[in-house]
Amino acid sequence: MCENENLLLKKVYETGFALDEITLYLDTHPTDPQAMEYYRYAQRANQEAVAAYEQSYGPLMSSQVNAGSWSWANNPWPWEGGM
Amino acid sequence: MWRYEKRLQYPVNIQQTNPKLAQYIISQYGGPDGESAAAMRYLSQRYAMPYKKGKAILTDIGTEELGHWEIIASIVHQLTRNLTPQQIEESGFGPYYIDHTVGIWPQSAGGVPFNACEFQSKGDPITDLFENLAAEQKARSTYDNILRMVKDHEVCDPIRFLREREIVHFQRFGEALRDVQDHLDSRNFYAFNPAFDPQAKA
Repeated sequence: MCENENLLLKKVYETGFALDEITLYLDTHPTDPQAMEYYRYAQRANQEAVAAYEQSYGPLMSSQVNAGSWSWANNPWPWEGGM
Repeated sequence: MWRYEKRLQYPVNIQQTNPKLAQYIISQYGGPDGESAAAMRYLSQRYAMPYKKGKAILTDIGTEELGHWEIIASIVHQLTRNLTPQQIEESGFGPYYIDHTVGIWPQSAGGVPFNACEFQSKGDPITDLFENLAAEQKARSTYDNILRMVKDHEVCDPIRFLREREIVHFQRFGEALRDVQDHLDSRNFYAFNPAFDPQAKA
């Protein structure tokens, strides 16, 4: 995996984790306005990170395969390392 | 329903194989306090949870546990890549290898197959949430035990992440338990089961 791909994927990991964490917090604190604001921030950051990664390195979800050819199975799978 | 995201929740990149360690860590794949039991426990308990916060947290933590199950499998897989018969014999990985080669199969460190009796879905929200609080602590202890045996940073790193998640989940389940109790009569939380007794349905 090249350095640029690593960098883009790191962003996906970081923003994805922020989203996982704030989701659990909001489940038990649904009326916390600061948490809601952080959720919106994390949600946007994650959407941008995923889009940037997918544009260069292929889909992270099978629903994001670009029409034309079946690229879902081209990249390594997460357990194979480098993800 | 679920959709697959083609990445782990936390990255796993292990260069140095270590079949002995794999045999310890596989306990979190199919052992008594493992991630498969966690996912099945929470995702099964949801149906008897009458309250909003509880339903959400059981669904979202249960989902995260599926991701942890995948992280553990990835660690075990990478620790057992390209093994020689000699390494298998010397590390004590032989019995597992005979039954599964280096495929991933849910068992405990001691070789006991995964069994649904390792978790409970009692149909009583207070009982279930106390079960979950205990489960998170038992998994945390298991990760502590694993960490004492691991020297390799590449293995420690994702194990530490998983250990921390146990502590966060414990906190969230505690909050869900308080919410359940807030819905009940504080003079006797056990006067009725809000998931079963009709007078409890508000």
